[in-house]
Amino acid sequence: MRQFFPVEDLARDERFVQTNMAERMKDARTTVDIDAATAKSRASSNRLTPDRHDASDGARSLMHGIMVGEIQALEGAGRTAHDFAAGDGSGDTIPFELKLDMARQAWDEARHVEISVKLSDWMGTELGQFAENTVLFEAACSNDPILRLAGVNRALEGLAIDVFTQMKEFGNLAGDPYLEFCEDWMLADEVTHVKMGSDWLRKVTANDPDRRKKALEFQQVVDKLFSFGGARGETDESPIGLARRFRELAGFSDDEVDTISKMDSEALEERKEAIRAFHAQADAQPTPA
Amino acid sequence: MVDVSTAKVTVTPTEFHFVKYEAQDIIDVVTELAELLGVANPIHVIVDETTPLSKLASEADGTSSDSTLTLRAESGALENTKRFTHFSAEAARGSLGRTLLRAKDRLRDDFADAPGDYDLTLAENAAWDTYCAGRLSRMGVELNKQRWRYNYRNRFGFSDDCDAAFEQLWSADGLSWAELAAER
Repeated sequence: MRQFFPVEDLARDERFVQTNMAERMKDARTTVDIDAATAKSRASSNRLTPDRHDASDGARSLMHGIMVGEIQALEGAGRTAHDFAAGDGSGDTIPFELKLDMARQAWDEARHVEISVKLSDWMGTELGQFAENTVLFEAACSNDPILRLAGVNRALEGLAIDVFTQMKEFGNLAGDPYLEFCEDWMLADEVTHVKMGSDWLRKVTANDPDRRKKALEFQQVVDKLFSFGGARGETDESPIGLARRFRELAGFSDDEVDTISKMDSEALEERKEAIRAFHAQADAQPTPA
Repeated sequence: MVDVSTAKVTVTPTEFHFVKYEAQDIIDVVTELAELLGVANPIHVIVDETTPLSKLASEADGTSSDSTLTLRAESGALENTKRFTHFSAEAARGSLGRTLLRAKDRLRDDFADAPGDYDLTLAENAAWDTYCAGRLSRMGVELNKQRWRYNYRNRFGFSDDCDAAFEQLWSADGLSWAELAAER
């Protein structure tokens, strides 16, 4: 079977249309207040809660994002179980027990895909109705298995903890028993997946501080990408919050969560700056007669 | 039979910078909807292209057949959700169709007491959306009924009683604002 699968070759049927972060960030529209002049019609909070006027559509869109994210997480864990030979963890090898953990994770993610498909149906969403951002799988394409653990198990699954916590709360506040229950169930798995990544990263790099440092730096790069231009963050400007408590349970230290929170804020400010520049450019264009 | 040949549709802005929309595509959709819904009034569509959100609002500057109907749409309401910033005639048909039906309702005397769209509560909005989506669907515009059921449940509750109320509203026709508002 083929190893090291590029993102362009992911198998999808004609219902799915893929996009990436570069394309996503070209969209200069915004829901955040970049200055007082554009504050009109913007919500007082962007947090995805049932009291937003577009609550159900926002939840449907995020649920579809979760569904395709679960497909990519399944593909990422499956690739890591297959792509590397069993060994002592040095070079391109991974311990056999790590392969077993990746296989277990793939099993969990497959179940999450099924749950997410049923939830999407329940919420009135068709499969492929929204664009699929492939950034999650891209984090699973490193040739170094330890970088994959950092990118997938800690950054991607960490994002999953934040998103599931947000959706679980949405289900609770809206009174949707299925959404709340399913998100809670999947959240429990994600905490385990992050913990697996944290434990293996420490274990495999125990005698290789340079490799650990490189992996943690890679995780920071991926974490910033997964902030989606500030869509995740601790202020109400971000639709998705940072789930500190569950991240702590998953093995993140307070310092690590603080760093992620800081990167989220930076990503939001960078996004605002880019949008301001686009607005200035649009304002400079001549108005048609 | 209403003569809709005089229905004049205008769109603001005439050129878009943030999204890849063409004003003429929007005019085509609204002209088709006006014919389908039997609306002869002048119609002005205002699109806020600076936000990806999808809030909609309708106004009528009177109740006569020549009163101008104004439809306001945030750009997300007209968007192809598979291709960000691209126009979708299907999405526009669903969104502007519901909004045009609201504007048409506002021409009726028994909707004189209806608050402006920005002053409606979330529940009032959901009830009116369900009522409009149901009628639009029966006229042949493609809509996902489950989406509207989920929206209604989010506002009124996840229960069999609420589902029964949704079905009643979805199938309704000729309601007054007082009857619609009683859904709260």
